[in-house]
Amino acid sequence: MALIECRQLTKTYRKGESTIKPLDRLDLDVEQGSFLALMGPSGSGKTTLLNLIAGIDHPTSGSLTIDGQNIAKLSRSKLAAWRSDNVGYVFQLYNLVPVLTAYENVELPMLLHPISRKERHERVATALSLVGLADRHDHYPRQLSGGQEQRVAIARAIVTDPAILVADEPTGDLDKPSALAVMDLLTRLNQELGKTLIMVTHDAQTAEYANRTLHLDKGRLADDSVQAAFSGETATTQGAAS
Amino acid sequence: MRLLPFEYAARNLGRSPLRLGISVLGSTLVVVLAIAAFAFVRGMDRSLADSGSADNVILMGAGSEESIERSEVRPNVAGQAEASIFGIRSEAGRAFVSPEVHAALGVALEPDAEPVGQAVFRGVVPAAFQVHPQVRITEGRSFRPGADEVIVGELAATRLGVPNERLALGQVVYVDGRPLTIVGRFAAPNTVMNAEVWAPLTNLQIMTKRDGVSCVVLTLDEGEFADVDVFVKSRVDLELAAITERDYYRQLSNFYKPVKMMIWVTAILIGVGGLLGGLNTMYAAFASRIREVGTLQSLGYPRRAVMLSFVQESMLAAATGAVLGALIALLLLDGVSIKFSMGAFGLLLDGPTVGFGIAAGLGLGLFGSIPPTLRCLRMPIAESLKAA
Ligand SMILES: Nc1ncnc2c1ncn2[C@@H]1O[C@H](COP(=O)(O)OP(=O)(O)O)[C@@H](O)[C@H]1O
Ligand SMILES: [Mg+2]
Repeated sequence: MALIECRQLTKTYRKGESTIKPLDRLDLDVEQGSFLALMGPSGSGKTTLLNLIAGIDHPTSGSLTIDGQNIAKLSRSKLAAWRSDNVGYVFQLYNLVPVLTAYENVELPMLLHPISRKERHERVATALSLVGLADRHDHYPRQLSGGQEQRVAIARAIVTDPAILVADEPTGDLDKPSALAVMDLLTRLNQELGKTLIMVTHDAQTAEYANRTLHLDKGRLADDSVQAAFSGETATTQGAAS
Repeated sequence: MRLLPFEYAARNLGRSPLRLGISVLGSTLVVVLAIAAFAFVRGMDRSLADSGSADNVILMGAGSEESIERSEVRPNVAGQAEASIFGIRSEAGRAFVSPEVHAALGVALEPDAEPVGQAVFRGVVPAAFQVHPQVRITEGRSFRPGADEVIVGELAATRLGVPNERLALGQVVYVDGRPLTIVGRFAAPNTVMNAEVWAPLTNLQIMTKRDGVSCVVLTLDEGEFADVDVFVKSRVDLELAAITERDYYRQLSNFYKPVKMMIWVTAILIGVGGLLGGLNTMYAAFASRIREVGTLQSLGYPRRAVMLSFVQESMLAAATGAVLGALIALLLLDGVSIKFSMGAFGLLLDGPTVGFGIAAGLGLGLFGSIPPTLRCLRMPIAESLKAA
């Protein structure tokens, strides 16, 4: 059984008379430990899919089973608790809390769990040295470069040791060297720590880090290529893959 | 309970010094005004409530029960009452029966100058000090009968709008060119008498050109109000009405209800203004944090944790302002006396008044932050995360 199973997953928004369908009866399996890149034109539903998998949004219909649990059925507050146990989210614009230091930002998700201050300290230190920022504990986000901010955000995403990491264009706002550092880091998290990683990207080169790439188009899967067999970015308008 | 750290709320305050300043100042202002309004209304109520003694009954001219100053009572009523009413208190053979003339008279500081203001004069005989035990001579002595001497209450200067020294012992004031020497000062805390000028009864009768008095105040001992009422009803020829001193001042208090209402309405309008202003700054502050709120929720923080933190932040600013406001109010308002038509009264600045003011400031912080927070949290997380 796959770690993540989407079945006929659909999300619709009603806008006055018309309805928008960012996700249209999508079927998708993501294996434990895989690194999946999601590509597709703007508005094709990438962020919507990521948010559903991260438990941030409820699907309109269909089922979304993660580790055997259909999270589409969870209440809002159960889903909040589920998120803090199972998912780390990395945003395009880092989304660090500006009034908290790097240390406090990384500590933030742990305050939701019964973890002692001492253990929190150890875990923050480990996470920050893993992302190469052991010497930046007391820096506020405004005192960090974009690339450093994103690495702090990654430390925050992994500090509670979630099984799944989602990243929405994590290098979209970074210069080349910072983007490379972030991609190296994410790849290591996938390969060395075994995190299941789902990443949205616009950039074919960035997608090459993944071992599987999916193209979304108008809320449906356009193709599914495993990296080994991947050659170029041919997007066909075929139906859903499984 | 999964809560955001307190530092988050505290440091959020520092995000916009301007907004912090507005929130703190707004709360300060509201607290000062709330304390002022409450101290005013309570001070006024106290001065009227404490003016009446439970055992005192006032005999006035029938038909003018609502104002002693307009009342006329025949000269012989005091003697008749003393002789006929059962149960009047007496000490060493002297009955507690006080014939009094009450008149608002213009007071000048020079012999032929215009009056600087009006003071309530009370012409009395020594029995007045028996029926009004609240009155205590604090400086000098009492006037001698028949002499052009007066004693002044401690708030008489406030009532006249002159410096206190101008009514010190030995000073002279003029009523219709007649010199009156101040030979004593008295205190009658929290009563209307505190702002009065007392003079010999006969002098005041001459000054007001009457041979009767305004009223007769008597203190009952074994007697009941009914005993006085029987006297009044049986002696129709004297054209009297009896009212307990308590009822008289209660009725005066009702007379000032519109003033008190106006004070409250003004205070509430200012409070609502403060609330709307507070809401406005909070909406702006929280609106700029929508993406951050989405992020906190995506980390797993429940909405009530964010809510609590934002309310905490607002309450911190409000509490700072409330403490400042309470201090300012105590500095500005302590010992302040207000002049009104009945005389003058001191603002009542005590625990309940200050507590009420602080509560108003904290309420502002609470109710000023809940709607903006709710609006911030109403949005689905996915949408919040898309905010600029
Ligand atoms: N909250 C919303 N209300 C209405 N429409 C939305 C909302 N969120 C997303 N959409 C629409 O859904 C479609 C897919 O959005 P999204 O998943 O963000 O696309 P992208 O692939 O660029 O990440 C777009 O057409 C977008 O306008
Ligand atoms: Mg997107």
